[in-house]
Amino acid sequence: MQSTFKLIRRFIKILLLSVVGLFALNVVLFLALSSQGVSNAGGWEAAKNLGQELQETDAGFVLSKQGQEILKERHAWAILVEDGTGNVIWKSDHLPEEIPLHYSVAEISYYTRGYIADYPTTTASRGEDLMIVGHPKTMYWKHMTPTFDYALIAHVPQILLIFLCVNLVAVFFIYWISVGGVLRSVNPIVTGIEALPAGKDVYIQEKGLLSDLACAINRVSEKLMRQDRELKKKETARANWISGVSHDIRTPLSMVMGYAGQMEEDASLSEQNRKKAAIIRQQSTRIKNLVNDLNLASKLEYHMQPMHAQPVNLVAVARQCIVDYLNLDLNPQYTISCETGKEFSPCIIEGDKELIRRAINNLIDNSICHNPDGCTIVVSVAESNAGYQVSVEDNGVGVTEKELDILRNTPHYMMNDSGTREPRHGLGLLIVQQIVAAHGGSVTFSCGKAGGFRVQLQFPKLPEEKKSVQFPNTTWL
Amino acid sequence: MDLTYLKYKKILLVDDEKEILNMVSSFFKEYGFSEIRTAETVEQALTVLQEWKPDFAILDVMLPDGDGFSLFKRMRTFTLIPVLFLTARGEDEDRLTGLGLGADDYLVKPFLPKELLLRTGIILRRYYKGENPRVQLAGSQIDFERAEVLKEGEKISLTAKEYDILQALYRNAGRIVTIDQLCEAAWGENPYGYENSLMAHIRRIREKTEENPSKPVSLVTVKGLGYKLVLEG
Repeated sequence: MQSTFKLIRRFIKILLLSVVGLFALNVVLFLALSSQGVSNAGGWEAAKNLGQELQETDAGFVLSKQGQEILKERHAWAILVEDGTGNVIWKSDHLPEEIPLHYSVAEISYYTRGYIADYPTTTASRGEDLMIVGHPKTMYWKHMTPTFDYALIAHVPQILLIFLCVNLVAVFFIYWISVGGVLRSVNPIVTGIEALPAGKDVYIQEKGLLSDLACAINRVSEKLMRQDRELKKKETARANWISGVSHDIRTPLSMVMGYAGQMEEDASLSEQNRKKAAIIRQQSTRIKNLVNDLNLASKLEYHMQPMHAQPVNLVAVARQCIVDYLNLDLNPQYTISCETGKEFSPCIIEGDKELIRRAINNLIDNSICHNPDGCTIVVSVAESNAGYQVSVEDNGVGVTEKELDILRNTPHYMMNDSGTREPRHGLGLLIVQQIVAAHGGSVTFSCGKAGGFRVQLQFPKLPEEKKSVQFPNTTWL
Repeated sequence: MDLTYLKYKKILLVDDEKEILNMVSSFFKEYGFSEIRTAETVEQALTVLQEWKPDFAILDVMLPDGDGFSLFKRMRTFTLIPVLFLTARGEDEDRLTGLGLGADDYLVKPFLPKELLLRTGIILRRYYKGENPRVQLAGSQIDFERAEVLKEGEKISLTAKEYDILQALYRNAGRIVTIDQLCEAAWGENPYGYENSLMAHIRRIREKTEENPSKPVSLVTVKGLGYKLVLEG
């Protein structure tokens, strides 16, 4: 709709500019034309000049050569009417026969304003007498009663303004009527096009001026919706397939893990066989973790993982993660400690406690997995202007700049559409990135201060107004 | 504490996979549990529950004639024995459903048998306290039924908060319990800002339970993380 109003505003601007422009153009044209013409087409001037060119001599009146030239140029005739008697005391050559040679005062008044025998006249005084010049019948049109009300002349500015306003209103009305129909057809089209990027199902009635366009938009919408449905169907099928496989593999894997664990502790078996059983159990656990990770990663990727949003104290989650490892009788070559910027200060965000726990656990697992000879792991929670930061850092083998570059810039094979099957890094870090992204945060990989590997998770702070509010239970990631 | 008496508790295993039933039964038997029966369907399970009256049940969720959640609801109409769900359904929603119904624990397949045994031990110990329910510490005993500590022949009462904190520590005896878990046990969900109060309560508990409260041996501090209750015997 906004674009329609923009369109209307643009039309009106063009219209106003056109009106003003046309008015200015006409004024200029008028001035240009009128400046080249002679006032009253020179008829009155000619009468005045003839009066001056007519000389009275002892032998009577004589018209000078210039006077004769004037009459010749204009194909005109002239008479001089005597004051008092009304008689014609001089007449030019070629005077038409129907021209009277005597005039009463009333006739003179009439002929001065109008015509003598349909010949348009112009007059000028010559002393007390009156010079009348008759012009060809088709030369002039005369307005015989040129009288204007003085009050009307005094109100000309207001009258012009009223004219202007009435004209503008009329123009807008005409514009509105003519454009209204177009707008009625355009509006649904514009609304439909605007709704298309939002993924909404669009239907525009296929009638009116732009029915072809409406029809095309409807077809585009249908196509987009069908593609969207198919994509979602594929994504759901893929996630469900992974979920199904992960489910179906659990029971057989239970058997493998169970019996391997039993054999591992069976004192009647040889040391070598017990070691083999331990390896089977350990590798089964790896498969179990891999299946779980694959399932979670695909659900996070396709927004099928439910998120139980609530206020979460990051310090509490970090402590819980560390304690979980310590309670599992962690190999003594690994030590895990917790560092918080300000003791007992809660760092509260809005999020899913279990998912954040999973992210931190993945990072601790990552440190343990890549440092088989042991390392010290520090989980720290700190506050910054941008939010809260959870860091998991070890002093182990660390990473090279090249490996860091791959971690930072190369998408995981699950996210990559280039067809490569090369796994850039484990699913664990991918899941960490997905979980943090779902919380509106970011992940930074870097070298640790003690030479190991450091991962920083940045979470946005919980808005003040939400700190005392209960959160809705479930949204979907 | 002597937990031998728990080995005579009757355990019902419900799963549609016969191999899983055999495997879990063999573990339990190996670790001294002798009273074990199995069921492969909801109907079989209900019959065993009503006739044999087990003390503890381990239920699968997906069964041929129904699901473990509805079985749980039906059995709750006539028995209140502790229940652990052991299932391949590992989604958060399923776990929340199981625990939300009131199950004591939820373990997802594949699982380590030892973990199942440990969890079973914790649940049984919580439900069936034996003839002597007192918890033995290095310098004292805790009687949770009377909410008091016996130290050097003297009975010292526990306040409600001290009781809650000690209960949380006892449920996880030998394991570290975080500051936040203890605050939650004493003050409910999202207990922000109670850490100093917790420290004060811990100090008072030590005064009641430890021979030398300034050098505790039973209620041990794990710096920056939480506390651990160390039992004797």
